[in-house]
Amino acid sequence: MTLALVGGTHRTVPLALRERLAFSAEQASEALARFRDRFPGREGVLLSTCNRVEFYAAGENDLAAPPPEQLVSFLAECRGIDAATLAPLLAREHDEAVVRHLFGVAAGLDSMVLGEPQILAQVKQAWAIAQDSQTSGPLTAGMFQAALRTAKRVATETALGRERVSIPSVAVADFASGVFERFDDKRVLLVGAGKMAAETLRYLRAAGARDVVIVNRTASRASDLAARLDARPAAFDNLVRELVAADLVVSTTGASDHVVPLDLFMRAEGRREGRPLVVLDLAVPRDFDPRIGERPGVWLYCIDDLAAACETNRHSRQRQLPQALAIVDEETRRLMGDMHHRTTAPVIEQLRAGWTETGVAELDRLFRRLPDLRESDRAEIRQAFDRYAAKMLHPPLTSLRNESHSGSPHGLLEALRRLFNLKE
Amino acid sequence: MAAFLSGISVVCFAASYAVALACEASRLVFRSGVRGAAMVFFAAAGLFAHTLFLTWRAVDAGAAPLSSPFDWYLLAAWLLAAGSLWLTVANPKTPIGLFLLPIVLALIGAATLASREPFLHDAASRFWGRIHGGFHLVWSVSVVLGAIAGLMWLIQAGRLARKQAPLRGFRMPSLERLANVTARIPAIAAWAAAAGFVSGIVLNAVNHRRGLIEIVPWTDPVVLRIAAVVAWLVAAAWIASTVRRRPEGARTNAWLALVSLAVLAGSIAWGLLGSTRHGKPAAAVPAAASEAAP
Repeated sequence: MTLALVGGTHRTVPLALRERLAFSAEQASEALARFRDRFPGREGVLLSTCNRVEFYAAGENDLAAPPPEQLVSFLAECRGIDAATLAPLLAREHDEAVVRHLFGVAAGLDSMVLGEPQILAQVKQAWAIAQDSQTSGPLTAGMFQAALRTAKRVATETALGRERVSIPSVAVADFASGVFERFDDKRVLLVGAGKMAAETLRYLRAAGARDVVIVNRTASRASDLAARLDARPAAFDNLVRELVAADLVVSTTGASDHVVPLDLFMRAEGRREGRPLVVLDLAVPRDFDPRIGERPGVWLYCIDDLAAACETNRHSRQRQLPQALAIVDEETRRLMGDMHHRTTAPVIEQLRAGWTETGVAELDRLFRRLPDLRESDRAEIRQAFDRYAAKMLHPPLTSLRNESHSGSPHGLLEALRRLFNLKE
Repeated sequence: MAAFLSGISVVCFAASYAVALACEASRLVFRSGVRGAAMVFFAAAGLFAHTLFLTWRAVDAGAAPLSSPFDWYLLAAWLLAAGSLWLTVANPKTPIGLFLLPIVLALIGAATLASREPFLHDAASRFWGRIHGGFHLVWSVSVVLGAIAGLMWLIQAGRLARKQAPLRGFRMPSLERLANVTARIPAIAAWAAAAGFVSGIVLNAVNHRRGLIEIVPWTDPVVLRIAAVVAWLVAAAWIASTVRRRPEGARTNAWLALVSLAVLAGSIAWGLLGSTRHGKPAAAVPAAASEAAP
């Protein structure tokens, strides 16, 4: 059994080259079909995301996995890239390191954002494409099923993916949700049209927000955005009125001074009837006068506040890393043990068959000499022979299994073949 | 069966609640996949034993719930323990038991100090007594729940003001939800306390007319402290309704709820230590009889 991997990630391959190397789902299917023709009998899975392109190959016996250099050339050829350009940027792994790497990838340990869960869906998709393209097989099936199990264990046994690390997700899940129980009855006001506003709104929509108003200095821009984000535009002159009605404000203008100074806010505050207001001021420089955050009932968060919370969460994830790596190690050892044990199957089969064949022949001879034996006595004798064979085979088989856990038991297999005159 | 039921003691369910509380507190220290299940198991076991104990008291000792200060405290503890279990199952990420179970244990502790001597068993006094005790139970439990919501509001608001991400495994309900509780509880508690006080006056009059007890004077310590509690709860309800639409209203209500709990605790302590004619037969006016129910 041989396993091979070549691949490049955001750490090793520049973005421009990564974009050229990336495969869409259709391109991945075509590439796998070409792999099947080029390397018949081998197994292959292609994982392509915006941050990584990796090819996993596996083979057994005479049909070993293609060497990494051939896989590099194959990838380069599929994407029309010069192999000499690609070769120094791609990592290569063999056997156990391939398994360990895949498990780490599936669990999000190799992702740009540690512990991010989206990669697991991409691993599943890559496996599904390989199955459809008929380049999957027992080795890759074992590897990818174990990878999914490992990712699940890491997700449930550690808190690696629990703390949020993006500013919009922290703003909504850790702060706005701390103030409001629900968002479907709240008015969300977007001030400005920054990219972060749209991203934050995505999380707010997921949390149930429906009533969204967009205010922008340029009315046409507000209308365009409102149409795109399924919101209502409002005139910038009505900012005070909108602040009175709003429950949550996301502000992302590019203004060089405060868009909402304290005196403007005070004009709105008296008409709010004490309702709490969450302000996510994601603009730099800030849109809201920081003194507004000292007003009762106002929860004002600027981008630095949210970035600090994200950083705390990142550290918290890092602290979980050793535990996650221990799970990856444990699962890798388990799978490699199982895979190595698979390679012993033909020898075990031959051993069992040899003992059984000899036993049957000896029993036949015995029963011919003792024709008066009752059927029940014969059955007892057969059972005794079976038990004897099983007990005699138990020590070598146990030794084989134990040896499999620490690597391929080539030495033991060779010894058994020679001792019992088994075929290759 | 009877032997089994009679073998259940206060220690049995108090110990179960204590273990459930320890499980809940451990979420601050380490993560565990089985802690939630263990916590629910011990809380449910405690509640089961608690239920059997109260049932056995009602069947064997003829001590229906609310028939003595001891039973009153245990019924209040039972209600809070049941509420804690229900809220824990409904909101597994919220450490509600960390707040409710200490009060459950405190009430059980107060029960062990309280008198087991039953109140009067005359039919009329039993009817009014149950109404009187029931209303006291409602406002007391309301005050506890309100105070816990208030404390959680202050903790959550403190975190949000410090701009910190929530602690892992220690997610508080939203301020909006907690503020709804602290805004509504004062009115419920005030009405129930006032109704309990009035029903106590009726009970006193009924018992005195039948010659069952000496009249409990207005200067009796129990009457005075309950009157003080009712006055406070009515004032708290008025303040809560006044500040409801102000920006600082939720914070004020949170503090009001905590002060109400302090008033309740003071009232209980006063009841455990003071002497009274409240609920005593005419012939027996002890020098320092312990009476504990509010």
